Amino acid sequence: MAEERRFRSAAGLPIALRRRQHSASCRELALRGPRLQLRSLSAATSAVWLAAYGLFAVSENSMVLSAAIFITLIGLIIYLHFVKIDQESLLVIGSLGIQVTSSYASGKESTTFIEMGRVKDVVINEAIHMQKVIYYLCILLQDPEDPQGVSEVVPLFQSSKPRLDCLIEVYRSCQEILEQRKTAPQSN
Amino acid sequence: ENSPAPLPERAIYGFALFLGSWFGFILYLIWAYIPESWLFSLGLTYWPQKYWAVALPVYLLVAVGIGYILLFGINMMSTAPLNSTHTITDNFAKKQQQKKFQEEAIPALRDIPISEVNRMFFLPER
Repeated sequence: MAEERRFRSAAGLPIALRRRQHSASCRELALRGPRLQLRSLSAATSAVWLAAYGLFAVSENSMVLSAAIFITLIGLIIYLHFVKIDQESLLVIGSLGIQVTSSYASGKESTTFIEMGRVKDVVINEAIHMQKVIYYLCILLQDPEDPQGVSEVVPLFQSSKPRLDCLIEVYRSCQEILEQRKTAPQSN
Repeated sequence: ENSPAPLPERAIYGFALFLGSWFGFILYLIWAYIPESWLFSLGLTYWPQKYWAVALPVYLLVAVGIGYILLFGINMMSTAPLNSTHTITDNFAKKQQQKKFQEEAIPALRDIPISEVNRMFFLPER
């Protein structure tokens, strides 16, 4: 069963959270950010081409125009492939682990899997980020030898940066699955 | 002991500093404004170039301006990144001792782990 709800990111952009329950101990949460808008794309392209035309009018060198076209194309490809993240998803499988996927606008997907033995907890943390204090969801990792200490912190949803109401929804969904770890017998 | 009250020694230090700073200021004005030929005729030939009378204050003011920007940048650089454990705990919290729980007494002050805090804030009361 899938349900989708609309929220706002930390910057005010609309994002959509989709929750799917695959089984009793497996849940997928996907956050979709806003798509690349045609108006911002045309604004950036016109700005670059106007600047190039101004340079051409001053310097009478036609290479400036072809260089501007080239730069616009290459810049757009690089932006879509390396920068613009369309969807970030979290797949929590109770006995197995947590998988974090980022899908870029060009179709590229980058995936990280963390096994359940290394996961200590999924928490909402507050930290200072660029002159603001933001809430963000993160996975606390533990060393297998030292279950009391936190060895690493993996922040999630870095590019869509949801606000606290969305984070609380995701947190509750994850905690429902993580709580089953304590009640279920350890199988090793 | 150490007290901020006025003392005779402090009055003397203050007056010596006051006289010294006035002397330094008058000396700086003499060096900057009196023409070189007059200083030479007095026998003072080995004073620094007058260029420095303008350059040093300018250096100081630019340094103060850059200091604002530098301090801002140092602050930003020493802020812990989002993926560091310093946002969650530190050495004092790791080494704290757990006091035994006593009935009817106020619990001792301690650093509560972030998982517990999250459960209290965000999970509905059972």
